[in-house]
Amino acid sequence: MTDNELAFLRDDPEMADLFMAEALDHLGTIEAALLALDERPGDVTLLNDIFRPFHTIKGNAGALGVTSVQEVAHRVENLLDLARSGRRTMGPEDVDVVLRAVDVLTSMIRDVGVRLSGQPGADLAPVALALIESVDMLISGETEVRLKPDTTIGPDPLKPDTTESRPDPVSSARRGEESTAIKVDTRKLDSLVDAVGELIIVQSLIQEDPALANHVDQRLAGNLGQLKRITAGLQRSAMALRMVPIRQAFQKVSRIVRDLSRKADKSVELVLSGEDTELDRKMVEEITDPLMHMVRNSIDHAIEPAAARQAAGKRPQARIALSAYHQGGHIVIEIADDGKGLDTEKIKARALERGLIAPGASPSADEINALIFEPGFSTAEKVTEISGRGVGMDVVRRNIDALHGRIQIATEPGKGTTFCIRLPLTLAVLDGLIVGVGRERFVMPTTGVRESLRPLPAHVHNVQGSPRMVQVRDTLVPLVSLGELFGLPHESDPCKATVVVVEDAGSRVGLVVDALLGKQEVVIKSLGETFASVRGIAGGAILGDGRIGLILDAHGIVELERGANRVAA
Amino acid sequence: MNADASNITATAQLAGKYLTFALADEEYGLPVLRVREIIKMMDITEVPQVPPHIKGVLNLRGKVIPVIDLRLKFGFAPGDVTSRTCIIVVDVALAAGRVMMGVIVDHVSEVLNIPADEIEQTPEFGDRVCTDYIKGMAKVKGTVKILLDLDRVLGTDDAALRAA
Repeated sequence: MTDNELAFLRDDPEMADLFMAEALDHLGTIEAALLALDERPGDVTLLNDIFRPFHTIKGNAGALGVTSVQEVAHRVENLLDLARSGRRTMGPEDVDVVLRAVDVLTSMIRDVGVRLSGQPGADLAPVALALIESVDMLISGETEVRLKPDTTIGPDPLKPDTTESRPDPVSSARRGEESTAIKVDTRKLDSLVDAVGELIIVQSLIQEDPALANHVDQRLAGNLGQLKRITAGLQRSAMALRMVPIRQAFQKVSRIVRDLSRKADKSVELVLSGEDTELDRKMVEEITDPLMHMVRNSIDHAIEPAAARQAAGKRPQARIALSAYHQGGHIVIEIADDGKGLDTEKIKARALERGLIAPGASPSADEINALIFEPGFSTAEKVTEISGRGVGMDVVRRNIDALHGRIQIATEPGKGTTFCIRLPLTLAVLDGLIVGVGRERFVMPTTGVRESLRPLPAHVHNVQGSPRMVQVRDTLVPLVSLGELFGLPHESDPCKATVVVVEDAGSRVGLVVDALLGKQEVVIKSLGETFASVRGIAGGAILGDGRIGLILDAHGIVELERGANRVAA
Repeated sequence: MNADASNITATAQLAGKYLTFALADEEYGLPVLRVREIIKMMDITEVPQVPPHIKGVLNLRGKVIPVIDLRLKFGFAPGDVTSRTCIIVVDVALAAGRVMMGVIVDHVSEVLNIPADEIEQTPEFGDRVCTDYIKGMAKVKGTVKILLDLDRVLGTDDAALRAA
């Protein structure tokens, strides 16, 4: 490597850091996959897992002008491509050479850092050259390659140099600059985020203290403002620490698509976009399973066999697009397939059969489609190895609810189905609407709130003597009195109270509360095991005055209300 | 981890320091090592769908902890909140791990060092009295202090709740 390769990176230190961190990350992935490949040679997914990061490294290095790294990655890619296309089996020698390539590239990337910091770099050219040579020898068919020490480049480049006078440049570069990233126990991060959450609460307590509100002092006000800004900045930084790209979850999905498309004998192309979209590490973990469930369902139910696709005038190869992007403080994950779409009529028939919708009711198409998230609901005619047992979609919705997210379905018969998942960026903070019932206050996550209104008496309809329905524009929405549900003193006349319309999985209910008290970002706290069985409550939050407000769980409330109705009926 | 190790009934191992408190006319004792702090009665947020003795949750400097009214738990009549009413914050080992809980008592008395020879094993009261919660009885200065097995007193609630 020469210093003039680094001209571009020197101008953009941020880009350089990113390039190095990413490359090292990729090399780590490659190494792990290689080790697995050693046990399962010929595993296409593993090969892809190795090929892709090499390709990314090559591309990045090329774009940034680091040609020596690009060259090494390119040669190894050639070898891997042969294996990927089935023209070569990765034997132990191949794995050895690629592993060696990982070492060499790691040293080269570290060397980039060393050089950028102004220190003299190591001379890795001979090592890289030797590596390229051994790769080329493997490709040219000399499968029994046994690298002899090459006199032109000195000692065997594949063996650590034992002579003191010429330390192995690979290991010396490794010992040199350590990566600027460090590994931190996630528990430490969590406790930091917790502490910052508490700091914010105290900060807002001070800010809103009535004693201070009456006290006019410019310096105090200035300092308080400063405190507020710094706390907010600290919160952002603390949150950012836990943010990771969603790539990890997407990779698992790629894996499952490859496995299942072969198992189900359906050719599926998976298109990923926005893998670098960042969200809370915990969210990435929690969302992986639901994503895999949904993709599994898509392949098994939505995507037709190639013959049927051709008959319908579609490309024989199906396409599933998985994308992620940020939108208004949320992350949106979309899973779009070009399969046959949801059969709304069939779902409706099945729902009638199972008593999920009352005979004679005329639910909207969206409401019907949302029924696929009901437990035990499946319209699959046959149970396959992959799915059809009706477990899955309800779990998907439960998981997403637990993340305070929402899931929507858009489907067009014959064209395909798109699931759209909207999640907050973090589990730690929640945007809430504070509502009051009696002397208690509750926090309603704003993700579930559609609107709030004070109904006119003409729009409230009684059933068996108590207000049960409200007309919102042209739809009837069932009313649920929060006070009644939780046994609290409350305003029973909806026309004097406020109705908050919340949506859960396509169905709406109007929560009757005494008053809307405001909107606040709250830090979510678990209520603990003691209250694990309480339904309709998702946790607790410390409000501005230091008291705890319970966080409502729209799904739980709807279920509770349904349960109560069923008992009453 | 001496007096509070569970399932050890030998009186010798019960010896140690206890925080004593009053409930109605009775005196109880908790191993002092399990007591985190004692706070005055605070504003408690009620939680729906729980038995009446679970009063709700309170904010202990940013932590949300459940609060149990021991009077109701033991079947006494509800007590009035007085200036002496307080909440003892204790460490409890539940199935899922150690948690903090608040226990409402009429008033706290003192910390006593109770030697082994003042402790007697829980007598059998017959079926009518549940003695599961009681580790032993201590006779101190002519009065009897009931030594509680904290994990059992507070642990049964979540078992019952989960079954419900």
